[in-house]
Amino acid sequence: MRRRILSILAYTGAALTLVVAASVPFVLMGVFSKAIAHAGLHIDAAYSGGTVARTIDRGGYKIVVYQPVKPRLLEPIEPFVQIVFEPADALPARMNEEIDLDGDGQPDVRVSFSLPSDPNAPLRGDVAALNGKYISLTDMGGESFSRMVVRAGKQIVVRIPLNRDSARR
Amino acid sequence: MASPSSALARPPVFRSIGRSILLTLPIALWSLLMFTPSFRSGGRDLAIGAVLVVVFMTSLFFLMMRTGETYRWRRIFFVALGFLFPVGFIASLIAERGTMSIPISRMVSGDTPFCFMVTPALILPAAFARTIVFPGSILPTASNPHSIAVMIGLWFAFTLVLGKAWCSYACFFGGMDEGFAAFGKRRRLHRFVTKYGSILRLIPWAILLCVVLLSAALFEPFYCIWLCPFKTVTEFPAVRDLETALQFGVFVTLFAGLVVVLPYLTKKRTQCGFFCPFGAFQSLFNKINLFDIRFDREKCFDCGLCQTSCPTVALSKESVREGKTLLNCMKCGACVDACKKDAAVWHLKGTPVGVKPERARLLFLYGAWALATMFGGSILANSIATMVHWLPLK
Repeated sequence: MRRRILSILAYTGAALTLVVAASVPFVLMGVFSKAIAHAGLHIDAAYSGGTVARTIDRGGYKIVVYQPVKPRLLEPIEPFVQIVFEPADALPARMNEEIDLDGDGQPDVRVSFSLPSDPNAPLRGDVAALNGKYISLTDMGGESFSRMVVRAGKQIVVRIPLNRDSARR
Repeated sequence: MASPSSALARPPVFRSIGRSILLTLPIALWSLLMFTPSFRSGGRDLAIGAVLVVVFMTSLFFLMMRTGETYRWRRIFFVALGFLFPVGFIASLIAERGTMSIPISRMVSGDTPFCFMVTPALILPAAFARTIVFPGSILPTASNPHSIAVMIGLWFAFTLVLGKAWCSYACFFGGMDEGFAAFGKRRRLHRFVTKYGSILRLIPWAILLCVVLLSAALFEPFYCIWLCPFKTVTEFPAVRDLETALQFGVFVTLFAGLVVVLPYLTKKRTQCGFFCPFGAFQSLFNKINLFDIRFDREKCFDCGLCQTSCPTVALSKESVREGKTLLNCMKCGACVDACKKDAAVWHLKGTPVGVKPERARLLFLYGAWALATMFGGSILANSIATMVHWLPLK
């Protein structure tokens, strides 16, 4: 009797597996994808740049300043702060901006770069730190996750490393 | 190409053509359903790819039904998938960015296509910090349709149906070492593999443990950054310094060793069986899967053919004596096809071993082949479309 019940359960399970297989492209894949999308997860700040602190509107374009990203205990990156200039199409051919990163009303860095007319051409730029909290960068491209001046789609992403002492504070 | 089991296999028992066609009909209809959008709106190249894939997948399933063999026909699909996947993938990279290397700008904008191999490494950071340590996007975007949510959703749905059989019916990498293992007949290093099989099959678990812990500690996808052999034939971080140069060197060395040379020498899927941490992780899902391979002890006379034929050392003398495979069995069917006494059988958990094994095989194969057609088939169709696009047919 037990064997028979087990067999019935097994074949019912096998039939359900077939139903699950048939529903994968139409229902199941979407259900699981939505569940993951709504699980409250976020991409690590080393890749995404972290959370937005504030946006500076310059008329034709915007400068988005992010919260400083501090690495976790063993994470192999330097602390950095990300700035995004967008849209790239609306930027002047030569950018030279002093930007207040910490919101204290005083400029912290001067970012300068020239936009090549070819959007696929590599971008390089300079960052001059105006105080000891940040580290200056010269002729920078996409060297590391903490030091970069790159075009990413319709944005220019600049990452400026923080002085480790000031990052700890 | 010679099968690891071709010299040993029993002669196939043929079903009638009419009955084989009837059994193939559901897969033929499913294939047509899956590829109808490609016929309608995918353009000429994709339509050609879709037609070829429908014929290919349906024909292989027909041959499985006709001959009663699984391994050899599945392997044709799987090797085709393994060798054609990079063709389509690399072509799309070259068309889009002119290089196989992924620049840092693509990573920060979340444009890295998600690969299921990284899934185990994501678990701890996601559980404890709600953070995904991968430079992709969670939701699909115009520039990255292969987002994290889509790919993990797809993988999880497949895993419910296939368990570890993912590694034989869905993985777009496994066909590469299976293909190289199929070249030539001479089985070198056989004694080494037999003697140290019990240790070799533990290596993926050790790598899995290291990858999971290091990914959680370093907050980076450690396997992708340092260990993935398949970066060699897909995309890899642009070489910009000594560290990235070293990473690229490791990828190429592992690919040459584990995917090309060792499979050729041993006739085993060495990357899948002795290295892949995702494969080890996937083994855990065999516990919840309803299908497995069992051994009818009344018929078995311990000839060892099943162990010799197993491409991933998922059988030991002890496990066969207990009538079971080991946890890492990927249900490729090699042992069942190799067994001369029909002692190795497909089995539905909860039913008696050896009673109606063909029914268990059919129930498993319909689900597995349907998903293989949907996922692997669409990859094949896209790759064929790419090749058709290159050919001077216009």
